[in-house]
Amino acid sequence: MERRHHSQSHSQRQQRRNHFSSSSSSSSNQSRSNNRFSFPKSSSSSSSSSANDVRDRRRETQEEKQEEAIVGTCPFMCPEAERLQRQRLRDLAVFERLHGDPRNSSPALAVKKFCRTMSAKEVRASDVRPLPVLEETLNYLLSLLDSTEHPFEVIHDFVFDRTRSVRQDLIMQNIVNDKAINMFEKIVKFHVISHHKLRSSCSSSSISPLHYLNLEQLTKALTSLYNLYEANRSSKPIHEKEAEFRSFYVLLHLDSNGQPVGESLSLWFRHVPSPIIKSKEMWFARQALRYFQMGNYRRFLSTVAAEASYLQYCIIEPYIDEVRSLALCCIHNCCYKLHPYPLGHLSKVLMMEESDVELFCNAYGLQTCIDEVGNKLLPTKQTTFCRPKGGLQNYSFLGFQQLGSHMLSSLFYNHFLLVPMKPFSHVDGWN
Amino acid sequence: MAYMSMGEAHRRITDYLNRFSDAVSSQDVASLKQLLSFSSNSPSLLSLADSLNVFQDANRLIKQSDNYSPFADITVPLFRSLQHYRTGNLVDAYLAFEKSANAFIQEFRNWESAWALEALYVIAYEIRVLAERADRELASNGKSPEKLKAAGSFLMKVFGVLALGTVHLCRSVIRSIETARIFDFEEFPKRDKVTYMYYTGRLEVFNENFPAADQKLSYALINCNPRSEANIRSVSAVLIVMILKYLIPVKLSIGILPKDWLLEKYNLVEYSNIVQALRRGDLRLLRHALEEHEDQFLRSGVYLVLEKLELQVYQRLFKKIYIIQKQKDPSKAHQMKLDVIVKALKWLEMDMDVDEVECIVAILIHKNLVKGYFAHKSKVVVLSKQDPFPKLNGKPVNS
Repeated sequence: MERRHHSQSHSQRQQRRNHFSSSSSSSSNQSRSNNRFSFPKSSSSSSSSSANDVRDRRRETQEEKQEEAIVGTCPFMCPEAERLQRQRLRDLAVFERLHGDPRNSSPALAVKKFCRTMSAKEVRASDVRPLPVLEETLNYLLSLLDSTEHPFEVIHDFVFDRTRSVRQDLIMQNIVNDKAINMFEKIVKFHVISHHKLRSSCSSSSISPLHYLNLEQLTKALTSLYNLYEANRSSKPIHEKEAEFRSFYVLLHLDSNGQPVGESLSLWFRHVPSPIIKSKEMWFARQALRYFQMGNYRRFLSTVAAEASYLQYCIIEPYIDEVRSLALCCIHNCCYKLHPYPLGHLSKVLMMEESDVELFCNAYGLQTCIDEVGNKLLPTKQTTFCRPKGGLQNYSFLGFQQLGSHMLSSLFYNHFLLVPMKPFSHVDGWN
Repeated sequence: MAYMSMGEAHRRITDYLNRFSDAVSSQDVASLKQLLSFSSNSPSLLSLADSLNVFQDANRLIKQSDNYSPFADITVPLFRSLQHYRTGNLVDAYLAFEKSANAFIQEFRNWESAWALEALYVIAYEIRVLAERADRELASNGKSPEKLKAAGSFLMKVFGVLALGTVHLCRSVIRSIETARIFDFEEFPKRDKVTYMYYTGRLEVFNENFPAADQKLSYALINCNPRSEANIRSVSAVLIVMILKYLIPVKLSIGILPKDWLLEKYNLVEYSNIVQALRRGDLRLLRHALEEHEDQFLRSGVYLVLEKLELQVYQRLFKKIYIIQKQKDPSKAHQMKLDVIVKALKWLEMDMDVDEVECIVAILIHKNLVKGYFAHKSKVVVLSKQDPFPKLNGKPVNS
């Protein structure tokens, strides 16, 4: 019994640090201990009197944790005290303002803010929302994604912070069941969508802080989700959507050389359950990885177009640019100078609309030309070839249907996410 | 031995236990080390042993005190071991010490930093000394000496702390080993160095730092001391296999193929087909080998490394086609039609269109596995007349 406490304490402390700490480090390593979340319900930990010895120091954290697993009683999305205070201080987000009034909110609009707590002893049960309230809160937050009144960054900022608070409340109450899994899955989806949409809107090549912070929380939430899957292994061997969510990890780490911290994919794969490895979603991710590592741009791009789900696409998108870049580089440098490369064919290779291909080449300092019959061509081995200085704009991706913003919230309730996009179907430009 | 009163014995025992728990709570590795080093035959440990014989109820003492019970799993068997050691009962002393040492590793894993590393080394040392003496006792009683082997696998476990995803702990442990002036790595017994290099080399494989992995794993292999090769179950032979399982993928990645006799001798069948595939340029065989041993490769963590060999297999295939063409018509050999490659791949049951072949060709050229260029309109690869298929020369394929 005692040993279990101790073997839990380290990884749990690590877990909690990840949830409560500031945005310093990125992804945490997936811990190995199995019983991490199950607190022994019996009072095996007899309280001690002396305050100085080691056992007490450990037990204290253990008891702290059991104390931390409080049961929230707050009936609103935002504790009343906080709402009143923020009204007084005019600290209300746009979505929380009643009729646009910065001094006035309501229980239907105010949502609890994320706040770093150092110790759960400071937290009152009345400030913590119980599970049903958290579920409603999360659903409300995700419905805001459809809003057309505000730019996406503003919506994202609000939902980002408030979902972080939802996660915090879940952890504090040690809710680790199916419903927690459900909620974390939705939160991860939000971060994935933001990953995609924030990228679209940033113009410079440097990743915006919003984008970076979002990626950080995406990784943290994903790690928590994996831990939840593990913790629930006895009641449910494999969760319905686990394969897809596991595949996200692979797709986030395609470029293993770029990872300074975190577990390498080789290490990570060691602990993935066999049914997940054999799943369709993981198969796709592994194929993407294989083609990416090999540099097989043709197969990479066509496989993504044919098999990626919307969420998988969102994650893999930055790598699409990288692969296209590689393709252009290879073709430009290795193709016979006297045989300019037809743009039509290049469009097929890059899985890009032909009009975009021209812009793409221009971004790399390359000029196109036209032959006698009017076909557009890319002369190779031009001396002006160079990496684009600014970021790349967003180009079409053949086979990808961009969902209009009004459909975003539906992503959280339908299962059609797992249906692969059809290749060469309706193409939308991006704006 | 002078007469020791119950009270005195009790006092000495609680004294030891207090020092133990104080050392842990204040992370005082110097004190902790002294409490574990049996072979030093320090007076305090000897008198502790005597005390344990007088006050026979140490276990209850430990388990009932909130101060000492957290470490019961370590101290209870430790005391037992000490008692056996004192009475010259080395086999039992070894068994109990091993139990205590295993419990120690568990605790070590939970501590957030590697502060107790030196204590871990002391335990590793002590366990080996005890094992050797236990084996001597066994041999003298006509039994088979197998404690040293058991100690060997315990040592694996000790260094197992360096592996297995506790990456942050690994880094601090490795850093403390590699920068500690207190230890000279060379001073450590060879076996420890070998196991250390094995585990850190393996980590390098997972992080795909192939030159570092090669260096470390090769060191481990060379210093493995295969004196008892004949006994395939000896610690050395087991270690050799473990090292090879990681060293072979590393060597393959830098273009070095193991000889068949090596694979046969150590029964590394999972690699035979892969090596064959590389030799013959047989893509189908590579994919087949990866599928056949997929679980094993994924669990050991070398799957991704092996998968990357695909490009080298392509290079080999193209080279073979080139050689065949050269035999038919040397003047035209340096021009390879993409259609010919498509046909060759079809023969290997790999369905690839000419566009994809062009892509592969482009990548091979880009990564300097092939020297030349391709002509899109005429669908031909034109190879350099000199050294069109450069060897890797000990460097991994550049990404």
